[in-house]
Amino acid sequence: MIEQIAAAAILLTTPILMAAMGGLVNRQGGIVNIALEAKMLIGAYVAVVVSSASGSWMLAVLAAALVGTVIGWLFSLTITRLGANMIIAGLGLNVLAAGALGFVMTILYGSSGTLRLPDTVLLPRLLPEGVSQIPLIGRMLAGLDPLTVLAWVSVAALPFLLGSTRIGLWIRATGNAAQVVRSVGLRPALVQDVSTAFAGFFSGLAGAHLALYSIGIFNEGLTAGRGFIALAAFYFGRNRPWPTAAACLLFGILDAAQIRMQTVGLPPRLMGALPYLMVLAILVLTQMRSLRRAK
Amino acid sequence: MTSTLFKTWLERGTGFALPVVIALAVSAVVLLAIGESPLDTFSLILSESFGSARRIASTLSAATPLLFTAVATAICFRAGVFNVGVEGAFLIGGLAAVVAGFSLPASLGWALTPICLAIAAAFGAAWLWLPGWLLARLEVDEVVSTLMLNFIAAAITGYLVNGPFLSAQSGNNVTPPVHEAAELSRLMPPATLHSGFLIGLAILFVYAIWARRTPAGVEGAFVGLNRRFSRAVGISVRHTIILAMVLSGVVAGLGGASHGLGQLYRYTDGFSAGYGFTGMAVALLGRNHPVGMLLGAVLFGALASAGTTIQLFSDIPLDLVNIIQGIVMIFSVVELGRITIRRRARA
Amino acid sequence: MTAIALGASHVWKSYGRVQANRDITLAVAPAEIHAIVGENGAGKSTLMRILQGIERPDRGHVIVNDQKTEFSGPAEALACGIGMVHQEFMLAPDLSLLENLVLGDEPVRGRGGPLARIDWAAAEAQGRELADRIGIEVDWHRRSGSAPVHIQQFVEIIRLLRRGTRILILDEPTAVLAPQQVNELFDLLRRIRADGTTILFISHKIREVTALADRVTVIRQGATVFSAALTETSADEIASHIVDGTPPPRAASERGAPGDGVLEVRGLSALSVEKSRQLRDISFTVRAGEIVGLAGVAGNGQVELMEALFGLIRSTGSVHLNGTDLSGLRPDRRRAAGIGFISADRGQEGLALAASIEDNVIAGSQRQPPIGKGWWLSRRALRRVALDRLGRLSVRYGAARDKVSSLSGGNQQRVVFARETAGTPPLLLVSQPTRGVDLNGIAAIHAILLDFRARGGAVLLASEELDELQILSDRILVMVDGRIAGELAADADRGEIGRMMVMEGAA
Repeated sequence: MIEQIAAAAILLTTPILMAAMGGLVNRQGGIVNIALEAKMLIGAYVAVVVSSASGSWMLAVLAAALVGTVIGWLFSLTITRLGANMIIAGLGLNVLAAGALGFVMTILYGSSGTLRLPDTVLLPRLLPEGVSQIPLIGRMLAGLDPLTVLAWVSVAALPFLLGSTRIGLWIRATGNAAQVVRSVGLRPALVQDVSTAFAGFFSGLAGAHLALYSIGIFNEGLTAGRGFIALAAFYFGRNRPWPTAAACLLFGILDAAQIRMQTVGLPPRLMGALPYLMVLAILVLTQMRSLRRAK
Repeated sequence: MTSTLFKTWLERGTGFALPVVIALAVSAVVLLAIGESPLDTFSLILSESFGSARRIASTLSAATPLLFTAVATAICFRAGVFNVGVEGAFLIGGLAAVVAGFSLPASLGWALTPICLAIAAAFGAAWLWLPGWLLARLEVDEVVSTLMLNFIAAAITGYLVNGPFLSAQSGNNVTPPVHEAAELSRLMPPATLHSGFLIGLAILFVYAIWARRTPAGVEGAFVGLNRRFSRAVGISVRHTIILAMVLSGVVAGLGGASHGLGQLYRYTDGFSAGYGFTGMAVALLGRNHPVGMLLGAVLFGALASAGTTIQLFSDIPLDLVNIIQGIVMIFSVVELGRITIRRRARA
Repeated sequence: MTAIALGASHVWKSYGRVQANRDITLAVAPAEIHAIVGENGAGKSTLMRILQGIERPDRGHVIVNDQKTEFSGPAEALACGIGMVHQEFMLAPDLSLLENLVLGDEPVRGRGGPLARIDWAAAEAQGRELADRIGIEVDWHRRSGSAPVHIQQFVEIIRLLRRGTRILILDEPTAVLAPQQVNELFDLLRRIRADGTTILFISHKIREVTALADRVTVIRQGATVFSAALTETSADEIASHIVDGTPPPRAASERGAPGDGVLEVRGLSALSVEKSRQLRDISFTVRAGEIVGLAGVAGNGQVELMEALFGLIRSTGSVHLNGTDLSGLRPDRRRAAGIGFISADRGQEGLALAASIEDNVIAGSQRQPPIGKGWWLSRRALRRVALDRLGRLSVRYGAARDKVSSLSGGNQQRVVFARETAGTPPLLLVSQPTRGVDLNGIAAIHAILLDFRARGGAVLLASEELDELQILSDRILVMVDGRIAGELAADADRGEIGRMMVMEGAA
């Protein structure tokens, strides 16, 4: 049973983790991206369509990431160039994306429910079936897909990317003091656009993973608030890659355990509130600590 | 003097018109793309939403929850409190009113409705008091806390309608209906327009008075414009913030009650069709001004009610309404129509 | 041989109806320290913005290395070797000093591009070398926001030098520094000059100009009125050009005999609020009909003292107003007890700039009759009270519903005074009352303060303008490092006040 939960947890963590890594970089650049959900949803749709049409999971993943990037970029423009408030614009994009997808589904497929297309190619498993015989972690290893590996590689790479590359320094500086970045001749708006596009890229990948990991279908409720869980995760991890990843893993484990808890008698609907309650608790605790230190 | 007044109204007018025009332009393009005539569609929407007394009634009925959620949002936004948790308070208030409406003795008669409303207001107030207190006392970011509380509200109400308050008769996700005595009366049967609309108008009116003609309302505006200034002139910023949240909760809770007691007569999963967020769009569009918000609520009400019929009679999906709403939200906050939301300097 | 490293030729610039620069001509020779002096609002900042390519002149042009130059933007000025150190330091507080040093021009390993890896070892070596060359020590790994102000300033200068700045513009660089730090800065600037860097130094403190500059140009009301080598002029001559040929106006100060103590402060100490200096054991009295000046280098606790007296920050010790104990009360209660508060930060604390004039002038009275009656607020009474208050201090405005931001600095400050003196409180706490106010406005505000005193009011006045303190005050308290270092007569020798401001533990 532990084995199964572990395997499921890793699988459920991946999309949250990818979206959270994107959102984290975005937040370090000074933008709270509340529209991760929208970009995940669109990424998932694009992934299913492209996978079915091309028969290539790789093309599908790339297309999802690309669309996520473009939408992220456009979203960023409304904030950095038109001065839109990032929270409202983000909530607006979530509404817009849901509306646009429902519209497209109804027009193209006649219903806005679940989209099942022929010949949808799923994400491959990286390791041979045989590894599942390994005790404890076997099931988990057998389930590993390229995007999960990429997600965890990105967690390992981000500290370096943010800490030691030029773009990383620019992003951190922009989030900290945009006018300083401008004064040294860089363009903070452009830096923010890049960080938002990056968040879009990863959200698109996250959507592709949701859609193509196991069943290869799309429906409008597929993301089920995972974009907001990702937001919760990087607030929880205070924008640092490893703590944020740990929060994602925790949420993934909760999600995986939820199905089991049901049998023990804990209501699953209430369990769904847990990640959000935890973020609230963490916010309160960190504020209490920092206020006490100020005194 | 008149020129200043004129300028403010002109500013408000463009702030209202610009996002609407952009949204209509985008939907026109979308309609062209699927081979529908935008003009025909728009005139159909117009006639479907305002073409007859019955249609107007259904438009106003769809606008009713938005009146509440828009005012609830505006109370906070004008005080510089970035409350995105009206949706959650709407759900909590709605469930509270409905549960009171079927579990209190029907013998209370005419007193039942006001009791249900009061209970909903109290639950809504308590629900948003928490993030207000956290913001005022501990400086916990209210965007995140209220966002999280929306999900928590959805989870709690979702659990309750599937567990303790599940109706014995019907299958899933639904409470028993409220007593007939608790129902808000229909104004023009068979149309669904109910007296909740009148309550909404009254709330809007009280909001207008409160904002300009009470010391607390004026203090709210000062706090929204400049917190340091407010402190220095002796206004308690903490009290003002908490008051804004609590009042917002009262109004959102009443909105939920109106929806539960007047429209659905019960609480079901999916009780709110995103009214909290549409209300936010309405508040932004109307720039927290009562007249603007009334127009905005009617506009979105018209889109929602006409959208349903249009989907029946043509191939245009109802989702067009969401597209319009999303665009309106985004463009109501671009430079031209920027509302006064403080950017927190974390030095 | 270049004659003019940086200059301006007949530059004009207007913003709407305001003529900020009229026919300004400036010539800065290579490797010279050139001071630009002038009152607040004389047009110095506009000229600097033009020299940096942020603004374009309406007429005339900028000269760089003897060439007429038209900048398309600040990047081009930077490329010409012109760099500016602002009053607000341009360092990102959460990044380290080293990260700030290389930001925008990072040494990389291997190929370039945004993804290139920054060579931190090389960066640090460059930082050390530059710091050694100008003779300072920097802990490069320190978080910028937590580094001492003068180190932040030095790092900003080093950053400009590292990026090839040959012409360095400094905007009132000493405003935030303690005296020792000023000396350190001046030594550093002299060493930079010796390296061949040209320095343009903006100030309104004549003593600093005579101590440091090779040449001085005076700007008054948007025009250059005087320029000379320091060897050929004197402090008095410079001063006479800054203010219309005459020394600063002496306000008619009828210093009557002060009455009873209005404000009694005993053993006031404030808990440290993060970075700011705490207040330590402060005791003094302000009597009726008396203006007590508060002098000190910026950041020695003047702001905190005012905030503590008004209840904006917590403090221990006792504060009595006409015998009533105010200790522990919030600002609204202290205001009700009879204190008016003129904030040093007019734009952020004194006024709500986005609100109307009438709302600004009645703010704080919204619960008091006749405006507030319980739950009700009478707009008509509000308007009447507002017009009355505005009229009493003859504020010049278009309509009472106009935004207060549409007023000039002087009129804005009059709105603040109209509000704070409305209930004729026994005590006014006044900070930097004439900051950003033009000369006429200054005279009017001084008159308001003197009138307040003449009616028996007590005033505690903090100002960074010693002139102002000496003109208005009956006596002067000097603050150093959160304490009252001493008390002097208003007509004390400036040197003596200055010495007191820099004595004991000024960091």
